Amino acid sequence: MPAPPHLDLVNLPDADLAALARAGRESAFRELVRRYERPVFSLIFRMVRDRETSEDLAQETFIKVLNHIDRYRPEFKFSSWLFKIANNLTIDHLRKRQLKTISIDGSPHAATAAEVEASTFDVEARGESALEEMQSRELGSAIEKAIAKLRPEYRACILLRHVEDRSYEEIAATLDLPLGTVKTYIHRARHELRDALASLRE
Amino acid sequence: MERHLLPDEIDQLLDGEVGFETAPLKAHVRGCAECTQALERGRAVVQELEHLPQLRPSLAFSDRVMSKVQVFVPWHVALADWARGLVPRNRSWRIAAITGLATAGALLTAVSVWALMRLDAVLFVSEMLWDRLRAEAMSLLASAVGSVLGDGAAVAFRASGAMGVGLLVAALAGCALLAFGTVRAVAARSRAR
Repeated sequence: MPAPPHLDLVNLPDADLAALARAGRESAFRELVRRYERPVFSLIFRMVRDRETSEDLAQETFIKVLNHIDRYRPEFKFSSWLFKIANNLTIDHLRKRQLKTISIDGSPHAATAAEVEASTFDVEARGESALEEMQSRELGSAIEKAIAKLRPEYRACILLRHVEDRSYEEIAATLDLPLGTVKTYIHRARHELRDALASLRE
Repeated sequence: MERHLLPDEIDQLLDGEVGFETAPLKAHVRGCAECTQALERGRAVVQELEHLPQLRPSLAFSDRVMSKVQVFVPWHVALADWARGLVPRNRSWRIAAITGLATAGALLTAVSVWALMRLDAVLFVSEMLWDRLRAEAMSLLASAVGSVLGDGAAVAFRASGAMGVGLLVAALAGCALLAFGTVRAVAARSRAR
């Protein structure tokens, strides 16, 4: 069901767009996706550092938010709600990824030599695929590499603060953290980035 | 201040905090080359972060999202959209439609006023038409009953009046429901095979 033709969706505030989306306007849904696909994807990609996974997580974020648009409360920022869900999905994914880490020396449950060999992960040099090459180009700069080394909590805070230009209070609300913790994480992230960049330049 | 700034104090200045706590920090930085350098290094990191590009997902991203979003249109919105769809977009047509509606409204009002002023005549004519219609319908139904069940049934039907009509209608409705149910059962059985 299209929105009335006189409405200019591009200049509407998020709360009004969300209201139109609740009223079943497909164009309002599309405008919300268009407005936030890059910031949400950027945040997730810099956390996860895998393009395909990042697109899946970003897609899941939007689907979750838009299918439950009736739960959105206009007194809060729509972007904070969106980033909160994106961050939660990303952190869950990173935790699952950590649990699935394969030992390069073979499975600890292997009983025979054949089983050890079957479960050993061969680390060998291989050429980059086109996707990996694009990822290297996108995230290959010194600052991007330094960001990748930060703890996930520090990474989320520093990206929301300086890339998405969120205030400390918004970040605290988005990540469900005390304000003091957010400040600490951001300060520590800056220190680590400063040290990492300084050592790269030496 | 006789010491260099602590990392958290550098961060306070980077955050642009103001107040009496930051005044001595700023004063120290103005006179200390090492702390000025530390602050500049911090600013450089912040600058690099703020200039990081926003990365773009694939071109089909929004289509993939929308294919899984359930767009639900509330009934009152659908009704308003339908009503809005009846309004012509062209200005001349809109004027013509409004003129037509106004004319029809005026005519209807005039007829209603005329009818109200001659209410007794209207009621008399309506009653006469209703009686005529009822007699014709009764005659039609009686001849239908007579052709199916014989002249005796037709006479009994005419004598029964409204009750007879009600029974006939109920009987017809019952037959229709039975037929419908039978056809559905047969169709369901043939699908099950």
